[in-house]
Amino acid sequence: MNLRRDKKDEEDGGSSNPFQGLEKSMVIQEARSFNDTPIVPRKCCHILTKVMYVLNQGEQFGTLEATETFFAMTKLFQSNDSMLRRMVYLLIKEMADIADDVIIVTSSLTKDMTGKEDLYRAAAIRALCKITDSTMLQAIERFMKQAIVDKVPSVSSAALASSLHLMKQNPDVVRRWVNEVQEAASSDNIMVQYHALGLLHHVRKNDSIAVSKMVSKYTKGGLKSPYATCLLIRISAKLLEKEEYRDSSPLIDFIESCLRHKSEMVIYEAAHAIVNMKDTTARELAPAVSVLQLFLSSPKPTLRFAATKTLNKVAMTHPAAVTACNLDLENLITDVNRSIATLAITTLLKTGSESSIDRLMKQIGTFMSDISDEFKVVVVDAVSSLCSKFPRKYSVMMNFLASMLRDDGGYEYKKAIVNSLVGIIEENPEAKEAGLSHLCEFIEDCEHTSLATRILHLLGQEGPRTPKPAKYIRFIYNRVILENAAIRAAAVSSLAKFGAHCEPLLPSIMVLLERSLLDSDDEVRDRATFYLNILKQNQKALNSAYILNGLAVSVVGLERALHHYTIEPSEQPFDIKTVPLDTQPFAEHKVTSDVSPAARPAEKAAPPTQEIYAEQLAAVPEFAHIGPLFKSSKPVELTESETEYIVRCIKHTFPKHVVFQFDCTNTLNDQQLEEVYVQMESAEGLEVETVVPAPILKYNQPGTTYTLVQLPDDNTEVASVFSNTLKYSVKDCDPNTGEPDEEGYEDEYVRVMKPNFMASWEEIGEDNELEETFALSTKTLEEAIQNIVNFLGMQPCERSDKVPEGKSSHSLFLAGVFRGGVDVLVKARLALQDTVKMQITVRSTDPEISELITSAVG
Amino acid sequence: MGSILGVNKKQAQILCVGLDNSGKTTIINKLKPKETQAEDIVPTIGFTVEKFKSSAVNFTVFDMSGQGKYRNLWEHYYKDAEGIIFVLDSSDKLRMVVAKEELDLLLQHAEIKAKKIPILFFANKMDLRDSLSSVKCSQMLELEKVKDKPWHICSSNALTQEGLHEGVQWLTDQLTSHP
Repeated sequence: MNLRRDKKDEEDGGSSNPFQGLEKSMVIQEARSFNDTPIVPRKCCHILTKVMYVLNQGEQFGTLEATETFFAMTKLFQSNDSMLRRMVYLLIKEMADIADDVIIVTSSLTKDMTGKEDLYRAAAIRALCKITDSTMLQAIERFMKQAIVDKVPSVSSAALASSLHLMKQNPDVVRRWVNEVQEAASSDNIMVQYHALGLLHHVRKNDSIAVSKMVSKYTKGGLKSPYATCLLIRISAKLLEKEEYRDSSPLIDFIESCLRHKSEMVIYEAAHAIVNMKDTTARELAPAVSVLQLFLSSPKPTLRFAATKTLNKVAMTHPAAVTACNLDLENLITDVNRSIATLAITTLLKTGSESSIDRLMKQIGTFMSDISDEFKVVVVDAVSSLCSKFPRKYSVMMNFLASMLRDDGGYEYKKAIVNSLVGIIEENPEAKEAGLSHLCEFIEDCEHTSLATRILHLLGQEGPRTPKPAKYIRFIYNRVILENAAIRAAAVSSLAKFGAHCEPLLPSIMVLLERSLLDSDDEVRDRATFYLNILKQNQKALNSAYILNGLAVSVVGLERALHHYTIEPSEQPFDIKTVPLDTQPFAEHKVTSDVSPAARPAEKAAPPTQEIYAEQLAAVPEFAHIGPLFKSSKPVELTESETEYIVRCIKHTFPKHVVFQFDCTNTLNDQQLEEVYVQMESAEGLEVETVVPAPILKYNQPGTTYTLVQLPDDNTEVASVFSNTLKYSVKDCDPNTGEPDEEGYEDEYVRVMKPNFMASWEEIGEDNELEETFALSTKTLEEAIQNIVNFLGMQPCERSDKVPEGKSSHSLFLAGVFRGGVDVLVKARLALQDTVKMQITVRSTDPEISELITSAVG
Repeated sequence: MGSILGVNKKQAQILCVGLDNSGKTTIINKLKPKETQAEDIVPTIGFTVEKFKSSAVNFTVFDMSGQGKYRNLWEHYYKDAEGIIFVLDSSDKLRMVVAKEELDLLLQHAEIKAKKIPILFFANKMDLRDSLSSVKCSQMLELEKVKDKPWHICSSNALTQEGLHEGVQWLTDQLTSHP
């Protein structure tokens, strides 16, 4: 066997990995020789390395073979060779989780960790803590306490770091060692002090009073280690985040005093902490920025890098504060370290004035080819944020981005460029034409299918509305001739949109589409045939429904509905209206996320999507007759978070019914609830049809109860207030207590995007049009638009929610789908005088709904 | 081989077993050279490897844990054992039957049965008032039935080292007379 391996090695050449192609079974066989006497340390070391290699290559060891190898390895404790012993420690740690009875080495390790050989002690502690489970921890507790206060720094550090790992499983035991840890924290050794402080913080981290006590003790002095000081700064910064009245806090003084520390590491950490604090004032920022400025001219590249990187971040929030460093940053543009140079330039771009942009862009261009993709993305981000700041400079930046697009680069890089170009086009109407032609040029030679299809889609959407749509046709048609099937299909769709929107181009487009009728790919052929036939009808309504506005359903929902239809075929044709609609995500929701730090574990779970709800509801037999799910609302907390029972309500709307889903959690560990249900009483006389109780509610296990309410046929009555009582029987306690709560809200639409609003507007026609005028109390157009969008819960179209600067009137287009699949469109004309006046026009296919919405606004 | 390395003494791997709290670790500790002796003895978990010398043999001892839940781990070390030290607590009459049970299991194990290795019994804690004599111990363990292996029993007091030397000398003789 050995011979064969030698031969293989020769073939691979001398430089190849000596462990390549090791087989697990062979290595296990070799490991048996650990049982031989006398032990040959060199040979055994080599075999141990092989076992370690095989393990780290991801080979799975069975428990039996791992245990056998492990016990063979224990024989190696006979040898006093220090190299071998240390290898054994390493492998013990590797095998601690896969072999049985690993506690067999406990006494051997405790002997080594208390022995005289310093070389063994730290490593033995680490191995010991790895093999020790909670039942065995008691037995080694005494040794750990001794080791924590050992006078040899490496031993003490190892014990502290291992204790940190033990905290995960056995926090209570480790907490008993606090006195020893505190003693270690006053050690002279920098590492020991650092580890001790880390462990102390970890032990107390759930007790905020203890943490602030500890911080205030150590901020008064006593820390020699710069590492420990850095850690203390981090802990202080975290505490400050929670404090309300920050200005008077001694912690601020501490962090600021660290700016004058003698260690550069500490100075940087303090500056970094100040910069990253939430809503820092310019006064707080100034000293931090000035030390970072000093670092900019440091001879050490790491310091220069760190300082530039941090300043780059500050520039986003406080560009004015960084302007003082501009001169030093300019010097760094020519830094030999390209990473520093990139960061310096992007920082300058963020702080720079409009006049300096041309010069900086030129400079950046000189070394773009030298830096890695990762930093190129940083540059692209900086450029695109610059674009939104100085919209008038778009031509310089667009040219710059376009030239970067032509250079070599990976997918992520190209995607970032395309993203920012698309962003510029969307924000700046003047840049549209130039941007589109840059993108057209890019797809002429683009290797990334997903980018090409995305650009083709954008061309189809924006191209027809430019003054000269004809010039894009050539680029798009070239794709039909030259590219792969996915791109060809996208190009065909794009062409069809030009045909639908631009009357004069229609005959030529028809000719081009006809050429794709014989395409080799099914999808391309199907699309061409479909679009061609619709275009031949030459009807606006058809065009807007099937070409200009895409299918607004959720793909997963459609798939499930079709699957369901094929399983249970019925006489009726498949109804697309039964498919849940694809909702547009709310952009505003991103901002509000980090408000409540006191999150309970129940909230951590990602909110389930509508598809999951639909499946859950379909599984309840009582709800079989009410048809497909139209929309599920977001969960609403009905109870305070501290109550004994937490109830959340999710409202599912069906064509004629509403199902209220109540997710209840019992937070009392000594009670078990049974037959839990929510009794709903409505003031308006809506009838509760069925109640599905949760049979049992154990401690901390969420349960679900449903209530089915039938909606009246009269569509206008949609706002209703329910009073809800949670009813349940407590096992071996008093029965039936209640907990009333009220709620009333309405959201009955799904937001849908109508990319081409005007076409849809014409399509619905004037039949059910209602118009009214209101005076709003808001002072600005932006605010008024925000309010209207949030109130109606509809999706703004054609970016009409953005108001060009300096205008006093604006038109807002909104689209939505009402329960039952009825399209609703709203056009709101806003005019700003002293307050905002709004004329609202509602169109929908159902007169009642138009009326309802108009009255809802009033 | 030994002479090439400059080590003239015979090397021997010995297994030290017995019930918990019988004094295994204490005995081994006392046999070690003075300067390497441990000050306090705690219950062994798993095993430790210790080394000591007699007049003609260098011993490597696997000092096993005697606690009930670890006794099944002894067998991992039977294969290479060239001798066994079995320690009894001569004052613990009640558990003498347990010791006998463990001894029988050991003797019947495939790895031990085939080998003709010497077994040394220490009837430890002879200083205690109600301790049994070595003869009484051997009767209770029915040592007379062990015919295929050389065995020897001696009373000992590990704390004063009484009897230890005698036992180790017997083991040394056994190991040197049958190379």
